[in-house]
Amino acid sequence: MPLISVRKVEKHYQLGKTQAPALLGIDLEVDAGERLCLMGPSGSGKSTLLNIIGCIDSSSAGSVVIDGQDTAELDDASLSRFRNKTMGFVFQSFNLIPVLSVFENVEYPLLLQDLPSKERKNRVLALLERVGLAEYWRRNPENLSGGQRQRVAIARALVTRPRLVIADEPTAALDHTTGATIMDLMVEMNESFESTLIFSSHDPAVARYARRIVRLADGRIDSDGAAA
Amino acid sequence: MRTIAMAWRNIFRQKRRTLIALSALIVGLAGLVAFQGYIARMMSSFRDGTILGGLGHVQVAGGERYWEDGEYDPYAYLLKDANSVIDELRKQPGVLAAFPSTGFTAIAGFGEKSVTLLVKAYPSERMYFSAPAVPGSPPEQAPSDLFRLGLLLAGRAPGPEERDCLVLGETAARILGAKPGDIVTLMGMLPEGALNGRDFTVSGIYRDSGRDKIFAFTDYATAMDFSRIAQPPVVHAILSDPGRADAVMASLPKDLARRGWRDLASYYIQVNTMFAGFLQVIRAIILIVTLFILGNTMNRIVFERMREWGTLRAMGTPRRGLLVLVLLEGSFLGLAGSALGIALGFAASSVVNLFGGLPFRQGAGFPIYMITLAPDARAVWFNMLPAVATAALASLFPARRAVGMTPAECLRQI
Repeated sequence: MPLISVRKVEKHYQLGKTQAPALLGIDLEVDAGERLCLMGPSGSGKSTLLNIIGCIDSSSAGSVVIDGQDTAELDDASLSRFRNKTMGFVFQSFNLIPVLSVFENVEYPLLLQDLPSKERKNRVLALLERVGLAEYWRRNPENLSGGQRQRVAIARALVTRPRLVIADEPTAALDHTTGATIMDLMVEMNESFESTLIFSSHDPAVARYARRIVRLADGRIDSDGAAA
Repeated sequence: MRTIAMAWRNIFRQKRRTLIALSALIVGLAGLVAFQGYIARMMSSFRDGTILGGLGHVQVAGGERYWEDGEYDPYAYLLKDANSVIDELRKQPGVLAAFPSTGFTAIAGFGEKSVTLLVKAYPSERMYFSAPAVPGSPPEQAPSDLFRLGLLLAGRAPGPEERDCLVLGETAARILGAKPGDIVTLMGMLPEGALNGRDFTVSGIYRDSGRDKIFAFTDYATAMDFSRIAQPPVVHAILSDPGRADAVMASLPKDLARRGWRDLASYYIQVNTMFAGFLQVIRAIILIVTLFILGNTMNRIVFERMREWGTLRAMGTPRRGLLVLVLLEGSFLGLAGSALGIALGFAASSVVNLFGGLPFRQGAGFPIYMITLAPDARAVWFNMLPAVATAALASLFPARRAVGMTPAECLRQI
């Protein structure tokens, strides 16, 4: 059974009195452990599809089943718990919480679970060690470089040991070299944590880190195949 | 705990904006606390002035109706045994003095002029008239176990052994054309209805706003002799602490009619209630202004941090968690603003008190004396709790706006 099953998903945005289509009948299945890149130009629907798969937005039609759970059946509180336990997010602009230290940022998703403080600390410090930021755990994110911030964001996304990691244009705010380092790290984490990684990019150099590339155009899947 | 820490740290993210947003609350509460301190001390002086101006903290009379018409017909309510009442009162802790008083209505004649007087009589050792202020000298400290009956403009109060002396009010003396040393004739009514006349020597002339037109004072022994009564209508008790009045009254035998200062000093109670209401209105205005300013600030904060809310929601924070975070931040703003405002109010009061306080004058012609500010420690709660509640309320609508959006909608905001 696939980890993610997207069936006939549509998304329309209400713009005043008109409806703007963003996704038009998307069918997609993603197996556990896959590394998938959503490619396509701006406005093709990459982020919208990622948001719907990530349960942070709802579809206008169709169904999304993740890990056997139809996400439409969950209320807000259940959906929040589901996201916390099943998913990790990496954002283009890192989206670290500025009033929390590096350690606290990574620890935050664990606070929403009933984990003892010692286990939380061990997990956070181990992950910061893995992403090469162990010595920065007390720092404020504002005192880190863009690449370092994205490493913190990756650690935060993985700290709950999620089955699915969603990254929306994770290298778009970084220079080429740093972006490549971040993608290397994400691939390494995807393999060692055996999580499923879905990321979006319009950069072919980034897309080559995926094993499977799904190309979107005008809200439809244009092509779906193994990366070259 | 992390939510509390985040909310607290959030208020320091933009210190200048936070300070501007809280300025109305800080300045308003500082002013309110200092003003409250001024009013409290002024009302405390007013209360003591009223109680020691002839009422006492507790009165025991020969009948309940004494307090309705005893002023004009005291003979109808004479006590059965005033000495036993005085002894009973003196046994109670906190009673500084217990003594009788009487009074009578009389027509005073001097030469071709006459006026109607209400003559009040206390033991001469319990009557105190303050001396006119000497410029540059410190204000006179009036004893706290005597009745302070006014400002002595001329002459003196009757001495302990002096009889048939009268301290006339300034207005009555002016109408009569009398001065200290003059003899005025009083014609008063006796309990049986007969008239009694006697010459009194004007020993002094006093001033007291509102009273010096009609009230005159003589010593208790003279008044008892003039009225030909064996028992007085009323006994007064002066206490060290006004708060003990109820306890002292409760300790008296049940058959005695008694009143505490709260029932007797109705004018003080009215003025105090008016000021309390006035302070409530000022507080309400400050809180309403705070509500709008903080509401606007929180609205901007919520809008600016949309991406943060989206991130927290994406990580699994439920709507309720986000609502609590925003409400806590607003409450902390209220807490910080009110704490600063109250601290500033206390500090300002201390500075004013260092310079001797604020000037106060009872009325035209009375000496100016300085009132120190006495902010009430309870003001911390009276002001802090409503301020925190107002700030939380101001955050409610912005918070609802934040939780009303999906995480993706929040994340799309720039």
